[in-house]
Amino acid sequence: MFGQYIQLAAQFYWQQRQQPAQRLYRYTQVVLMVFIITLSLTANNIQSYLSNNLQSLLGADVVISQSQPLSAAQLAKVTAMSDEILLTQQLNSTLTHQQHWQRVRLKAVNANYPLQGQLLTSHSVGGPAKPTASGPSSGEIWLEPRLIASLGVSLGQTIDMGDAKLLLSRIVTHEPDRLMEGHNVDMRALINSADLPLLSQTDDLIHYRYLIKANSQQTQQLIQWQRQHLPAAQLHHKRGNHPLALFWKRTENVLGLASIILFFMAAIAIDLLSQVHVKQEQYFSAVCMSLGASRQMGIAVSCCKWLLGLLSILPLVLILSALLHYWIMGQLSHTFVGLNWKIHWQPLLQSVLAVWAIFAIFQIPVWLMLYRNSVALLFNRQEGGANHWLSKLSAVAVLSLIALIYSDNALLTTMMVTAILSAIVLMIAMSWSLLSIGERLTARLSGLLPFALFMMKQRIVSKSTQIIGVGLCAFLLLFTLMLLRDIGATMQVYQRQHDGNLMVSQATQVQMQALQQWADEQQITVRQHKPYLYANVVAVNQTALANLDIQPSDSLATLSRPIRLHWQQKVPSNNRIVAGQWWQADTKQWQQLSVEQEVMTDLGLAIGDSLSLIINNRSIDFTITASHVFRPGHGSITFWLQAPSELIDQVQARRYAMASLELQPQHWSQLPQLWQQHPSLRMVSLQEMTRRFDTTLAMITKVISGFTAMIILLAIIVILASISALQGKEGVKNSLIISFGFSRATCQQLNVIEWLVTASIAAFGAIAGTSIAGQLIYQSQFSLSYQPDWVWLLSTVTVIAVSVTALGLIASRHSLRRDVRSLYQQAH
Amino acid sequence: MSCRINLDHVSQTFNAKGSCVTLFEQLSLSINQGETYAITGPSGAGKTSLLMLIAGLAQPTTGQGHYIKGQHTLPLSELKMDVGFIFQQFHLLPELTALNNIALPLKLRGDKHAQQKARHWLDKVGLGHRADHKPSALSGGEQQRVAIARALVFEPKFIFADEPTGNLDNDNAQRISDLLFHCCQAHNAALVIVTHSEALAAQTQHCYSLCHGQLQLSPTL
Repeated sequence: MFGQYIQLAAQFYWQQRQQPAQRLYRYTQVVLMVFIITLSLTANNIQSYLSNNLQSLLGADVVISQSQPLSAAQLAKVTAMSDEILLTQQLNSTLTHQQHWQRVRLKAVNANYPLQGQLLTSHSVGGPAKPTASGPSSGEIWLEPRLIASLGVSLGQTIDMGDAKLLLSRIVTHEPDRLMEGHNVDMRALINSADLPLLSQTDDLIHYRYLIKANSQQTQQLIQWQRQHLPAAQLHHKRGNHPLALFWKRTENVLGLASIILFFMAAIAIDLLSQVHVKQEQYFSAVCMSLGASRQMGIAVSCCKWLLGLLSILPLVLILSALLHYWIMGQLSHTFVGLNWKIHWQPLLQSVLAVWAIFAIFQIPVWLMLYRNSVALLFNRQEGGANHWLSKLSAVAVLSLIALIYSDNALLTTMMVTAILSAIVLMIAMSWSLLSIGERLTARLSGLLPFALFMMKQRIVSKSTQIIGVGLCAFLLLFTLMLLRDIGATMQVYQRQHDGNLMVSQATQVQMQALQQWADEQQITVRQHKPYLYANVVAVNQTALANLDIQPSDSLATLSRPIRLHWQQKVPSNNRIVAGQWWQADTKQWQQLSVEQEVMTDLGLAIGDSLSLIINNRSIDFTITASHVFRPGHGSITFWLQAPSELIDQVQARRYAMASLELQPQHWSQLPQLWQQHPSLRMVSLQEMTRRFDTTLAMITKVISGFTAMIILLAIIVILASISALQGKEGVKNSLIISFGFSRATCQQLNVIEWLVTASIAAFGAIAGTSIAGQLIYQSQFSLSYQPDWVWLLSTVTVIAVSVTALGLIASRHSLRRDVRSLYQQAH
Repeated sequence: MSCRINLDHVSQTFNAKGSCVTLFEQLSLSINQGETYAITGPSGAGKTSLLMLIAGLAQPTTGQGHYIKGQHTLPLSELKMDVGFIFQQFHLLPELTALNNIALPLKLRGDKHAQQKARHWLDKVGLGHRADHKPSALSGGEQQRVAIARALVFEPKFIFADEPTGNLDNDNAQRISDLLFHCCQAHNAALVIVTHSEALAAQTQHCYSLCHGQLQLSPTL
């Protein structure tokens, strides 16, 4: 019996295979499956790479790092729980040589370094790297090749840093504990710990990292001990998560968000195509059942046919996914050195089954219809009703499921979904109102426009679906293109306009005085100057940060490191309060905090919640009394956490400042002098920021381009699907028009008018959606003021609308070939 | 001004799998405005092809057709604005109400009183109370009545009906044919019916039989 079902299903499947609607249905399935499988394979490959990488490259069994040294008692305790312990100290500094300067990450080590793994050095740039038994001796400095090129220094020359003169004796090519830096691309230098006090940087934030050799039992003891006694410290171990894993997880989740957009479009395509598809299934089952087949047989054949459809595209999907995966691995190998292409079968199988489950959700209404309806009802081809809405609900359920699984940044996801829903509501409202008003106003006019509006109004449900489909595609495409364009252009202009061209990210009080003095001498105005101290967020409402039951996010990742806490009496001019109340001036309640809105959302915080901060080894509980957002146009230096000014009377901690200046070309050559005196002064030029930004932008561009290509592909499928769904009806309409005595040219003209109206409403919806998304997302996620370039926006949307119309007309040519005879053919 | 369609020695052939199939040859026929015609014959004889040819929607392989409009002799392609069609399958647009289906050809012609005229015709075919109903809510007979109103609402000079009662029971078929003949007569339109129904053919003034490629005037049934 089962064999018969398969045979019948195969027969039915092969007969339908070449029909345009079935072909489009297949294309949509292929695009979605390729996307999900490739994403899954790539993610798995990287996770596996990171895991292996961690085992061999951590440079120790356990690493504890924090911004203070361990006390003698703490060190004694740690030593007791380990076989061997080694301290490295890291700080950011600026190296100068003649007229050259370069920001570096300086690491001070002793003779026992490295603890585990291999330290590789060479005696010439590009020369063979050899394992080296210990770090640099006192008086020596080792630089990485990029730094040597940047400073224009040669081996054997000396570099001045504070009171020290350091001899460049080796080139360092690999540090075994380098992995701890994650995806940090700062240039690197190694010195001996004994030289560190000579660098005049004692006030600076030194990062103390203890590399520990420990067995698994000792590792567990250390983990427990750290949680109890050093909650602000970070602990990594070989059996734990890779520092890069969270970075990748976040990237993966951002991709997940984009996949919501793609799924949304695919859902529209599948929904449009199902209008044709369901009727065919319904009719076929009705014929079988009228010939004596059971209801179960109808459902079984439908299931077999559905499965056959998926199996037939699987080989193509696997080949395309493997090729795409191979290409992506090639691209990512620049970031993850040593990453190789490898197929992981288990996640592959899981992805395939997951996507099939999603497709099954779209198919459930068909099976329910076959199960519930009688032969007569199946023949009648009822439209609408419960099944229609069940199908729509299935689409919404699938999208919600995807959003739930992939959502990384809750705020961004909410914003994107809000923009999409707003665009949908707007397009529905516009379709109804424009077509109704248009039809009413033109009812007494002659010509084809009134007729076209009349017909569109009569077919409002199917036309609205078509308009929403096309409009959403246009919106997503327009927004992606706009983001790609603006993220590069606007940001640079914006920063230059408001922040000057030199940003000071960390200056001690002494350094700030020196900087102010230098600026006065050079007649430069310090544009912004904001003080802060470093704090570690360790708990939310007394629950440790690591134990919080929330999704990984940018905010969470950043909060796990020391963050800047700003104090201020009044609301900063570049902030706006969105919830709660800012404190009164001279308040005695200094344990209050204003938290940035995105952080509130990501961590699920509310006004009245408590945050436990560790400031200079002292744990202090703060109550959140306000939430602020960035307000553009008044300088870009803003802080996630802000407290009343009274804070500084209550806590003893090193104070730092952020500032910005506008330098003229002649001032740049004076900077090395300032850095030589204050090597740890953290300043970054706009040029340097732009360079970093460009590198990031290049990566973002690649990702967005990939998505744009997929969105364009799906947009075309949606348009073709919407045409395919209405093709039968359009054909009858055109044949009837000809039977009323009109020519094919009239049908063509009507078609042009309909597509222009469709494209115009869709274009308007796209502009509105883009505008809403821009207003919501630009300011909150990119700290950019949304200032749309209307000329560009309108030209782009015009190009999209014209392309949509052209594509619509080309795809409709089949229904335009119809004549009166076609009505007979259809009848037979 | 009286109008007429003339077919003069027309033949229709087509190629099927390399061989030439002749549907009919050397047919001559005149259709006069205000008169009624029936074309009968076995399935596959070419009745519908002949109907298309008379309506100017197809070109004959040989021979010529003309549309005589008063004093003017025009090619058959000029006939299209003066014809109305009625199909066996009705072919009403499912999204449109009965009223809007009838108003369709008037709206296409830019008639400012399309709705009023359509309502008038709906009353005429006895469906005034079903104006806002969609085709799926109408019976076969009611759908065909809407189709007749749609074909006649713009007052064409010639009505072509292909098996107009083929999908209906005897009672409905009788009512529809009465309505059809009555409306055509009232508006002085020619009615050309392709049918298998002898009863329907018998109601026409001229009954032709198309068989083996030859068209013969049948004696009045």
